Amino acid sequence: MLLLAAVVGALLIGSVRLSLSGLVRGDSAARALFALRGPRVAMAAAVGIALALAGAALQALLKNPLADPFLLGTSGGAAAGAAVAAWLGALPLEAPLASFAGGAIASAAVAALGRRGGRIDLQRLLLAGIAANAFFSAVILALFSFSSGATTRSMLFWMMGSLSDADPRRLLALLPYLAAGAAVLVSLAPVLNLFLVGEESAASLGVAVEKVKLVVFFAACLLTAAGTAFVGIIGFVGLVAPHLARLRWGNDQRGLLPAAGLLGGALLVVADAVSRTVFSPAELPVGATMALVGVPFFLVMLRRAG
Amino acid sequence: MTGSLEARGVSVRYPSGVALDGVSFRVEPGRVAMVAGENGSGKTTLLKAIARLVPAQGRVDLDGRDVSGMARRELARSMAYLPQSVDLVFPIRVFDLVAQGRAPWHAGGLWRSGGEGPAVETAMRAADVSHLASRDAATLSGGERRRVFLARLLAQEAPVWLLDEPTADLDPRHRKEFLSLLREVHAESRATVLWVTHDVDEALALADDVLFLRAGRAVASGPVSDCLRPEVLQATFGLPARIESDSLGRRRVLFL
Repeated sequence: MLLLAAVVGALLIGSVRLSLSGLVRGDSAARALFALRGPRVAMAAAVGIALALAGAALQALLKNPLADPFLLGTSGGAAAGAAVAAWLGALPLEAPLASFAGGAIASAAVAALGRRGGRIDLQRLLLAGIAANAFFSAVILALFSFSSGATTRSMLFWMMGSLSDADPRRLLALLPYLAAGAAVLVSLAPVLNLFLVGEESAASLGVAVEKVKLVVFFAACLLTAAGTAFVGIIGFVGLVAPHLARLRWGNDQRGLLPAAGLLGGALLVVADAVSRTVFSPAELPVGATMALVGVPFFLVMLRRAG
Repeated sequence: MTGSLEARGVSVRYPSGVALDGVSFRVEPGRVAMVAGENGSGKTTLLKAIARLVPAQGRVDLDGRDVSGMARRELARSMAYLPQSVDLVFPIRVFDLVAQGRAPWHAGGLWRSGGEGPAVETAMRAADVSHLASRDAATLSGGERRRVFLARLLAQEAPVWLLDEPTADLDPRHRKEFLSLLREVHAESRATVLWVTHDVDEALALADDVLFLRAGRAVASGPVSDCLRPEVLQATFGLPARIESDSLGRRRVLFL
């Protein structure tokens, strides 16, 4: 419902306003605007769902309320992976597989650095995420300064995330990754419930812990990488959406994962609508808008977790 | 399944060194075996090795079957593990936590949550946590939380229980209550129990058998009456000990 309301609202607002009756009647101005805004709003919803699902699943898996694909460096790694592939000339910039490789390497490195004495340490994990993000930002900046054709704007796109290039082709290319990743994570929801008490506890209840961890990391990485490949780095959706969903629908992962996904979709649709209207006709990268919301939220969570 | 448990030459090596060095013992079905020793003697590691929560060498047989050949879920139907202490980060309803004990019994279909009600409710009644069912387990007191995890263990309906210092962080009154509760539920289920503690008096009050560990090796194992000798206690705890009877006829160990 919330997602639907957000989508309709976001279709209507923008630098040119559109009336609901115009949209329903389908007059020509409305149709033109729908063709422009429709894919963008749909893309925002799809990427929001992907990031929120990845964040919710990682929070449960790592038993860590601060887990988020951006904070753990996965988004940065994914963007850097795509940038490296583009620089090598092997692949177009929007290469989900190159993003996936980058994101997977980043997750593995951060998880390894965040471990101490066989268990994941919250502080180390966050520090490793910060280090990874700084490193990947540097990689992306370096690659953009080497390549001649790059504009400041497309670099901003990668670093801060933007939905301004959304079109039906990109949306269609994203959907299979979203469907696959979402199907895997939602089907594992009951197993993720057992992780809420801890890995060892899950193992003692008959869960093949290492296998599940690998599959969940893989799926979360796929969702993050696919989202990042098409719209750049957007943080905090994966942090904020699951927590808001948890407040309303509780922490049973069977209900939480779908709820967090839909809420994440709505959140990013709204954030994008804000990005393109507040300073209209200029636009704010949506990643910046999300960070403005997400950082205070993160600080509150950090205080509680501390 | 009757729950006879036999370990032969169980060893565990951590990166930091040898935690368990060729431990062998046997527990007959329905008996309570206390695993006692100093901090760092390998008690918890032994439980984890038996439950296959840490990689180990050697062999553990359950009713004559090597557990390393069992599927994880089958193992979880045979052995229930009560962890030492659990740090709950996220809210979780007490009922949902106890219902986790049914997970090994679902044939892949964890999505369906029907049918587990009766076993969960029975377990919650037995552990006296029914009134907490809709509370958030993270907000419970230490004693209540212990009982909730005991209920989860009961819901698992396994013939072998592995209890890791179940009374460690409880004050004397809650400890006493928890022990009598445990005695009650054990009388009902007749499970084979492996119970880790460093409180020898607890062993005396409840155990049929003991296994004394020191630095990862078995010092002695067998019925309490055979093993409870001053020289065994000294070899285990590194302190001279005396065994006395108090005015109520209970035996107590006095370390000197």
